[in-house]
Amino acid sequence: MTKSVWEMRAVTKTYGPVTALADVDLDVGEGETVAVLGPNGAGKSTLLSIALGLRTPGSGTARVLGRPPLEALRAGRVGVLLQESGLLEDVRVGELVAAVAGMYPRPLPPERAMRAAGVEDLARRRVGALSGGQRQRVRFALCVVGDPDVLVLDEPTVGLDVEGRRALWQEVRARTAQGRTAVFATHYLAEADDYADRVVLLAGGRVVADGSVSTVKSLVGGSEVRCTLYDADLDDLEILPGVLQVSVEGRSVTLRTKDSDATLRGLFAMFDDVRDVRVESTDLESAFVSLTGEGRG
Amino acid sequence: MGSYLRLELARGFRNPVGLIMTTFFPLGLYLLFTLVLDVAPKGIGDVGAYTMVSMATYGAMGSALFIGGAIALERSKGWLAQLAVTPLPAHGYVTAKLVSGAVTVLPSIVVVLAGGALLTGVRLPLGTWPLLVVLIWAGALPFAALGTAFGYSIKGQVASLAMMIVYFVLTVLGGLWLPVESMPEGMRVVAEYSPAYAAGSLGWRALDGLAPSGSSLAVLAAWTVLFAALALWRYRRAV
Repeated sequence: MTKSVWEMRAVTKTYGPVTALADVDLDVGEGETVAVLGPNGAGKSTLLSIALGLRTPGSGTARVLGRPPLEALRAGRVGVLLQESGLLEDVRVGELVAAVAGMYPRPLPPERAMRAAGVEDLARRRVGALSGGQRQRVRFALCVVGDPDVLVLDEPTVGLDVEGRRALWQEVRARTAQGRTAVFATHYLAEADDYADRVVLLAGGRVVADGSVSTVKSLVGGSEVRCTLYDADLDDLEILPGVLQVSVEGRSVTLRTKDSDATLRGLFAMFDDVRDVRVESTDLESAFVSLTGEGRG
Repeated sequence: MGSYLRLELARGFRNPVGLIMTTFFPLGLYLLFTLVLDVAPKGIGDVGAYTMVSMATYGAMGSALFIGGAIALERSKGWLAQLAVTPLPAHGYVTAKLVSGAVTVLPSIVVVLAGGALLTGVRLPLGTWPLLVVLIWAGALPFAALGTAFGYSIKGQVASLAMMIVYFVLTVLGGLWLPVESMPEGMRVVAEYSPAYAAGSLGWRALDGLAPSGSSLAVLAAWTVLFAALALWRYRRAV
């Protein structure tokens, strides 16, 4: 077992009658990249803020790098990208990054952090004149400039364009490749699929799945047959061989099946006008939907 | 904390609106009161020097109070949420704010005193000038604490508006625009216990070669303790 970076034991947090986290145990080891997923209100933000020491657990314990989370933060070991945080408006980007760098014991050169975040060209621009995506890049520069051992990222790529996302994940990967740790919360399941080596799925304040991306996918199992169908009758689709679950959105039909070959034979036999048929292995989104009980509309 | 203090200082000296409001506006008022209008009350010796001290104190007060305006704005923009996840502890932030605020008070004082010496011919013993700077600067202390309390009580632009009103009331009550000598007796008693009067009296007495009176020091200290306690309480509620 690698060195423990994050350790949560029986953490519970309630806000009045609302249970944000219920009895959560979580260990993250050195060098791991962990995605925390869950529908809105699942407890992702509460989980992150307890791990940062910004909130205290109602009961249970949280430790980061073997010490209380706030101590690890104040010691400059943790770099954080928060969703709701703001920036100083009346300073230049370069000044801001340099000032934050000075708060850490062993920072990166500010230019290095700005290059990693793709804002080196904006160093002389006033923060107040930046676009939303540029600000998010600056936040990322602030997050890595302290050269922290642990990165905690809450929805890091919201507002970023394709190029910005690519740059961000490239930097995160470069850091975890050196044995550093990254934990991120995201709504983009594709990002968890592509960049996380472990997924923690939260629903209703509980951990409903925790493992590698493939493990979480296999919890749901089977594969999916997708096709386009006019006037599809739900009852007809459900009796097709192998079908476990049917969902219809307009003309597009998704059949989750335990035997795609049998399902396909039945599908072609029953519907002459079926088109655009394809078979896909269960993706993370299906796992997400079925494990968290999120309706798909 | 050093790097953050440097950033705060750079911001303070780069804020044109703040510098005009708290430095050139008091200078303008000073010139208006001494060169244009004839509002000299009875019983004051050197009106030019007296008004110079009043206006320097007025400007310093404003600079100190507006620390709170910056804090309120930063709170509403979420900057404090960002700082909360850096190694900078909360007391480091407050210290940087107070130190940079204390430094940015100085231009208000120096510009008005320079105006007095160069534009209206105020003549004082050489040693009195630096003494005035120090005394007026010290007199701004309770207002820095009050501004900080405001910053942690009210968010955004509303804080600046509320502070303008308090600034105006304290200035008038403290006899900085029109001396307390021209006030009716009842108002004058209240005025002499107000923080701005206590701050102003440090400089006014220095003009006559007198040390600060015990009562004005006590009044100033009491207001400082009260406002600092208020600031600390509001700060703990806000964080």
